[in-house]
Amino acid sequence: MGLKNIVKSANKGIRELDAERLVDRFAELNLTPLGEVAVRTKVKVCGEVKRMTMKPRSGIPSMEIVINDGTGQVTVIFSGRRHISGIEHGGCLAVEGVAHRERNSTVFLNPAYTLLPHGAE
Amino acid sequence: MAGFITLMATSTKSSAVKRFFIGKPISSADDANHRLPKKIALPVFASDAISSTAYATEEILIVFLSLAGAGVAAYNNLVPLSIMVVVLLAIVVSSYRQTIFAYPNGGGSYVVSRENLGKYPSLVAGGSMLVDYILTVAVSVAGGTAAIISAFNGLAPYRVELCVGFIALITIANLRGLKESGSLFAPPTYLYIICLFSLIGVGLFKVFILDLPPISHDSEVAKELLSQTNSVTLFFFLKAFSSGAVALTGIEAVADGVPAFKKPEPKNASITLVIMAFILGTSFFGLSVLAQHLQPLKDHEGLIRDTVLAQLAEQVYGGRNIFFFVTQFATFGILILAANTGYADFPRLSSIIAKDNYMPRQFMNRGDRLVFSNGVIFLGVSSGALVVIFGGLVNALIPLYAVGVFTGFTLSQAGMFVRHRRLKEAGWVPRAIMSAFGASTTALVAGIVVVVKFADGAWIPAVVIPTLVFCFVAINRHYTRVRSFLNVQDGYTAPFHTHFVIVLVGSVNQGTLHAIRYAQSLRPDRLIAISVVETAEDRQKIDEAWIKFNLSDVELQTITSEYRDLTEPILNRIDELDAEYDDDLITVIIPEFVTSVRSQWLHNQSALAIKARLLFRPNTVVTSVPIVIP
Repeated sequence: MGLKNIVKSANKGIRELDAERLVDRFAELNLTPLGEVAVRTKVKVCGEVKRMTMKPRSGIPSMEIVINDGTGQVTVIFSGRRHISGIEHGGCLAVEGVAHRERNSTVFLNPAYTLLPHGAE
Repeated sequence: MAGFITLMATSTKSSAVKRFFIGKPISSADDANHRLPKKIALPVFASDAISSTAYATEEILIVFLSLAGAGVAAYNNLVPLSIMVVVLLAIVVSSYRQTIFAYPNGGGSYVVSRENLGKYPSLVAGGSMLVDYILTVAVSVAGGTAAIISAFNGLAPYRVELCVGFIALITIANLRGLKESGSLFAPPTYLYIICLFSLIGVGLFKVFILDLPPISHDSEVAKELLSQTNSVTLFFFLKAFSSGAVALTGIEAVADGVPAFKKPEPKNASITLVIMAFILGTSFFGLSVLAQHLQPLKDHEGLIRDTVLAQLAEQVYGGRNIFFFVTQFATFGILILAANTGYADFPRLSSIIAKDNYMPRQFMNRGDRLVFSNGVIFLGVSSGALVVIFGGLVNALIPLYAVGVFTGFTLSQAGMFVRHRRLKEAGWVPRAIMSAFGASTTALVAGIVVVVKFADGAWIPAVVIPTLVFCFVAINRHYTRVRSFLNVQDGYTAPFHTHFVIVLVGSVNQGTLHAIRYAQSLRPDRLIAISVVETAEDRQKIDEAWIKFNLSDVELQTITSEYRDLTEPILNRIDELDAEYDDDLITVIIPEFVTSVRSQWLHNQSALAIKARLLFRPNTVVTSVPIVIP
């Protein structure tokens, strides 16, 4: 038990460290923080690409991208394609659209997106 | 190092090594053929008790001469004390004869007190006996080594090494099986009994008829010891008595091991017990009388190397001749065999306790040769450690000894008393009185041993035995908890789970493809391939391979690792997936390369780390898909 807790807290340290880095990175953009995204209203958010998933959604290929800005994370789904040039791990993505809840994540379906250059803008 | 790993990992090779030392496996059906006839059972079970004559007299003398500083007056106390010990022996033996008939399936203190006194007394008895078996091995081997050193004084610097070596040899002999080691060790016991009686007979003849003078001592230590004139206080008298009482250790072995005798077991065991008690009593008394007249010397620091027995033999046989050496070797032999008694009984008792769920189940497992191998190994290791800690000196170990045995005697006889009162068989009254008398006598002795030797080391068993009882109870609680948890009610059906299967992908290779095919064959609710990537190129490479090998119907997730760690992101991802459903079961599939023993360590290190972390995760199955690389 003790060991598990130590590992957990060390792990938490890394997550917090990363969150701080991300908050710093996106602070000056003044967009809605991902942790506070309201559903069914149009919002503009951005975050760093944390996970990319290529999966068939009802037989059609689709691409799910999880972005994180240090306050929270959302899933962005682009259906009908397996690849979008420019979107890669570590890159930044700004997204404008209406979010909805799917299971326990916040999802944007085919939103308008902007690729942000590396580093703060 | 490489050789060692080879030995551990390659099953065929390690079993060849095992075969060489342990012998070929014996089938369970051969159990009955491993019963002992009386003439073999006597050395196996009685050698412990009889062998204590080799050091009991000496231990009494050490207390009088070295600790009490009584000088020549010490010898006058020797015979009265040995009479007390012999009386105690008679009491305990007659009580144990009843136990043998009452418990033909082996009535050690543990069994008797479990059935008559309840849980805690039986655990105390069990713990005491286990501790004492370990000490039996340690003391006997130390005593045997002392006999060898008395014969060859040059070996004195290697005392501890010799002890450890002997323990290792006995352990291996016992891993080979009880009967074989019994017939291997039987001759020394009989040789020792012959040597002992001839030493006593010839000695007493020379002393009383030929007026053999006492041994002349000319060393400084000896003169100093003999010049002291302190009077023997009650404290030291009791201390000497409790040293002498170690002669009784090992009597319980026969009652413990009744099932190992040939049929009819109780009768054979009881006859063996009486023969043993007779030999023990007469030889112990005879040695004391001889020692009174010949006045051998011994101190508690081991400055005088020769044992009392060696000094007596040298004086009686008139020097270090063939008779002297035969006596020394016979002494050594029986002490080694006495250690063997511990090996006959420790594993047996620990298996009984384990069967009652108070000790780890592993002690119940019989090995290839029908012996309780784990008990044998445990005993060898712990007694070896004791010998090393106490420098292989008998008299340093003696205060630890006897506490457990007399606790065991007391509980066993108290148990028999309760049993007599409960069953009220014909003629139970005198037997019950006998048991009650025996119980109170041995309880008194146990008390005396703890009090007068507390500072010398008797505190160690006084601490260890309660600790052991605590462990027994804790282990039992655990087993009970597990059993009640696993217990199923009638009509119970196992629940369905949402089944996630996660395949960990390093790069796309043959192993990955096999693992994914295997994962698909499980027909999970959701199949996910997860890969930790560092750069965009890594991800693109995997994505291209995904299309190339027609895997696009398999969900592929790539995650980044900000701090280049592989394990953490994967575990976090599993946690996230796990949180999505309440009733889910996650199978993590890891493709692994199986190469030769020499190069296996070059692979799968990260897989090993992940597997280690997932071991205690609930609702998680970890599967390795082996890819054999010839």
